[in-house]
Amino acid sequence: MKVPLEWLREFVVIDIEPYELADKLTMRGLEIESIEKISPQFKGVVVGRIKQIERVTELDNISLCIIDTGNKDVSVLCGAKNIKKGDKVPIALPGAELPGMPVIEEKTIKGYNSVGMLCSERELGLSDDHSGIFILPDDFTVGKELREEPGLDDIVLDINVTPNRGDCLSIFGIAREVASILNQKAKIPIFELPKDRKGKIEDFISLKVFDLEACPRYVLRMIENVDIVPSPYWMRRRIQRCGMRPINSIVDVTNYVMLELGQPLHAFDYERLKQRRIEVKLAERPITFCTLDGEDRALEKGDLLICDGEGPVAIAGIMGGENSEITNATRIIALESAYFNPLFIRRTARRLGLKSEASLRFEKGIDLENVDFSAQRAIALMHEIAGGVVIDGSLEINDAKKREGIFVSFGKINEVLGTNIDHSTILNALRSIDLHIVREEEKGFVVSVPWFRHDINEYMDIVEEVARIYGYDNIPVTTPRSPVVQFRKNKKNKIVSKVKEFLVSSGFFEVINFAFLSVKDIENFFISDGDERFSYVQILNPISKEYGIMRTFMAPNVIKNIAYNINRGIKNAKLFEIGKVFHPIKNEKLPREDIHLFLALTGKERDYYWKEQYKNFDFFDIKGVVEGIGERFGLNFVFQKTKEPFLEEKYSSDVFLEDVKIGWIGEIKKDVLTLYEIEQKVYGGEVNLMPFIEKAILDFKYRSIPRYPQVVRDFSFFVDESIPASTVIDKIKEMSPLIISVDIFDMFRKEKRSISFRVVFQSFEETLRDETVNEIQEKIIKEITKIDGISLRV
Amino acid sequence: MNEIEELRLKIDGKLVSINSLESLTSVKAELLGRKGLFANLIDRIKLLSKEEKKIYGQSINALKVYTENRLNEIKIGLEQKQKEMADKASWIDITLPGKAPLVGKIHPITKVISEIIEIFVSLGFSVVEGPEIELDYYNFEALNIPSDHPARDLQDTFYIKEGVVLRTHTSPVEIRVMESQLPPVRIISPGAVYRCDNDISHTPMFHQVEGLMVDKGIRFSDLKGILTIFIHEMFGEDIALRFRPSYFPFTEPSAEVDICCVICGGKGCRVCKDTGWLEILGSGMTNPQVFRNVGYDPEEVTGFAFGLGVERIAMLKYGIDDIRQFYYNDLRFISQF
Repeated sequence: MKVPLEWLREFVVIDIEPYELADKLTMRGLEIESIEKISPQFKGVVVGRIKQIERVTELDNISLCIIDTGNKDVSVLCGAKNIKKGDKVPIALPGAELPGMPVIEEKTIKGYNSVGMLCSERELGLSDDHSGIFILPDDFTVGKELREEPGLDDIVLDINVTPNRGDCLSIFGIAREVASILNQKAKIPIFELPKDRKGKIEDFISLKVFDLEACPRYVLRMIENVDIVPSPYWMRRRIQRCGMRPINSIVDVTNYVMLELGQPLHAFDYERLKQRRIEVKLAERPITFCTLDGEDRALEKGDLLICDGEGPVAIAGIMGGENSEITNATRIIALESAYFNPLFIRRTARRLGLKSEASLRFEKGIDLENVDFSAQRAIALMHEIAGGVVIDGSLEINDAKKREGIFVSFGKINEVLGTNIDHSTILNALRSIDLHIVREEEKGFVVSVPWFRHDINEYMDIVEEVARIYGYDNIPVTTPRSPVVQFRKNKKNKIVSKVKEFLVSSGFFEVINFAFLSVKDIENFFISDGDERFSYVQILNPISKEYGIMRTFMAPNVIKNIAYNINRGIKNAKLFEIGKVFHPIKNEKLPREDIHLFLALTGKERDYYWKEQYKNFDFFDIKGVVEGIGERFGLNFVFQKTKEPFLEEKYSSDVFLEDVKIGWIGEIKKDVLTLYEIEQKVYGGEVNLMPFIEKAILDFKYRSIPRYPQVVRDFSFFVDESIPASTVIDKIKEMSPLIISVDIFDMFRKEKRSISFRVVFQSFEETLRDETVNEIQEKIIKEITKIDGISLRV
Repeated sequence: MNEIEELRLKIDGKLVSINSLESLTSVKAELLGRKGLFANLIDRIKLLSKEEKKIYGQSINALKVYTENRLNEIKIGLEQKQKEMADKASWIDITLPGKAPLVGKIHPITKVISEIIEIFVSLGFSVVEGPEIELDYYNFEALNIPSDHPARDLQDTFYIKEGVVLRTHTSPVEIRVMESQLPPVRIISPGAVYRCDNDISHTPMFHQVEGLMVDKGIRFSDLKGILTIFIHEMFGEDIALRFRPSYFPFTEPSAEVDICCVICGGKGCRVCKDTGWLEILGSGMTNPQVFRNVGYDPEEVTGFAFGLGVERIAMLKYGIDDIRQFYYNDLRFISQF
């Protein structure tokens, strides 16, 4: 809500600096988004009065005006037609500066001297109006610098009004808060309906409200013989400073009163209302209706409509129809002022995607008690600026219920706030914002809430008002008195953060992506229809196709991160992401949310180091990381041949935990990478952490360090390619309980594959004797070479 | 005597030819060895008369001592020389770059979340989590935001299907926790949230941390206390802060918490829109209607809740001016944290 201070001052005396006021409003919950200073962009323009106008015969459409500028008269040539003798006009004297124009100079045209220029509003930079010379209000002083006239300089506060405070969507509503801050009472606008009224409204029009729940109050008032002209400068200026566009005298008045008092109004062209009737009712069936912005709107059953004798003339509270809008030919006005049920307005406005200044206010609930007052205010203003004759009386339906009082105990207020505010301070605070204290007791009070505060319905709402007015700053800072609550352990969090720690210390960088994918991403990875990764949760209103579904696996996003970094010259990368993937569950509303880990390696550890050289990452680099994670939590992963469609089968594997596949690792197929414009090799790995978290061992016991020395023996075998190295390791381990580890320390291929094993023997009871170890060594050689395809390398 | 002089010249000639420890050993053997020069001379002495023996023997002996001393000197010199050469060979340029261990970095969002968690855990809060795809009931209805509530406009919601949305905030976790347990409650809940918004200051996914404390006798002043501790821990003891009335459907009274602008120090700048203050989190006393929705008795217990935007805090803490930076995952960005 934009609030020009010049307007606000009509209701309240502002005796503090604007910045201080802004601060105090913010601390009242009316946050100031910005403070706009308005000051005229022109210089050297004075208020003049036209003493004489003469047509200049030698020049087309030009008049010579004699202007009284206070201390002397000057002659000016002017082409505008809207001026007459006696008008007060802005005159830019020689030397004057106007926005975007060269400095004004004295000119002579065809022998006529023009000492300066009369200005339009646009030339002064005050508005877009260039239809004629800016006719100044009569109370401006001839000879005075125009920029010194009041109202040209202004400060506009842009207030962020929270959705609960519909009452603050008006200058008067803001004035009420300001008055409370400054210990005043906001002044209600004073006006009178003209005395010479005519006829009786009942003879002109009839009113019927069919649904009192949707429309508990409706008032019609009329005025005839109005002039549809531009409204005066002061009104247009205020409307504009509030961010709206001036239109004509009638429409401007409805907007002006809405901005002033918060009551949206609608003016119908009376003569276009069929059968001279207004009926407020719910649509019975879907219809199309053209609103005054020229758009066809699809209305549905249950939408609240204003109808004449034949059909809708307005969507209640949202927008009027083209069929009854004010035109330049309009002579008679039927003015609507009503209270529409916020739920109805909101539902229709939301469905139509149609928001207006009116619907914005109706949706939040307006002042039920202010409906007719606003109508009268508008009729009086119309009469003032558009002339005409007011039709006597009003038609009104009023089904407003009385609101129940709320009992609040003083003790409860102080208890909830942690304060010790005395009773009179509490009551005065509430009175200052026009809440009525109906009854006061020793322990508490009953407060009656006026209809402009729809947000106050129970005691807690009153507590909030007291806190707000007393000032949050004045509430003490304490710590809770309650005892410590038992702490809940969270194994999942703990493991996830330990996995992250492990990976970071292993040189990986964490990435975080939006948890979205596009269907295209799934296809890019050659995932087939039946695959779980193809059963996804779709977003009905996505930002874009690229973010159309919730991710079912992590790989595509991180692959995109790799591409992004390679494009920026970073060709070596070790990335990981831990995040959620989503899979719909049949007959369940909510999907399954699993936590996945994704790892990616590309390039090499480093490009160079002056005394070493580096190889590109390969399968074993990623495998080692996954093994390391397992080991960190006491788990053993098993790696087996994979059929993942996006992996190079030879350099990849599935990852199993206790016979359950929990993921895969390996080289991403070139065909996939090409789709993401990556030309170098990428090794990836994705693991579902859910089973991992469940099985992970966080508490383990210390194993005592052996007191006896270990014995190390090395073995070299030729091992045929058909026999996995892991089989040989497992076999060797079976040979004796004294074997505590079997490692591979060398491997090469010539005609045959040679693998060298290092076996460590350890007894926890005694120092191993050579004979014992030799015996096992013999056994190992004997047993292993028995395997077809293995022989001892001598 | 001439013979002795000749011998000395001969010995000197040998000594001069020594240029390494190896040649030293062979010259030493040649002169002092068992079959060396002196051994020979001594054999010859045996054949001389007693008189001659005495004179000749003394001269030979003096010559031998001389030879031994010279050899020793040469040896020390050579050893010294060799050490110097070895030193020269093993010299390193200590200005060459060292080999730094390669460690990765945690994403700044994770980093900030961890910091927040750490602070609240130290205040006795437990960490819980909730689903990111959420029932409309938990995301809105139970939080006192019925379907026609104007507050729904504040949040552009991603819809999945009838009654299911991407959670727009972490607040639904409050409801899930209260439904599952009796008071007292003291939890925080970090996680991703989603809003249908994508521009320089909004990303469709971002992160929040929710907090909730419910018990008998929890006061608004306690809310101020706990959040003041948090902000002081997060931004330093000296940072000025203020609690300002605001509106959230699920809290009442509601308070927005501002800190003194970390960019301009409160003088007013572009970042704080000339106000000198920066919004840091939303909070408030739990609305009695929310308690009723979960079956708590608002006459029995009170509580407060708060929600803070992780990206916002990270941006202020590190001076990041574009929220989208968090999601490009540019290694030049991540490696700074």
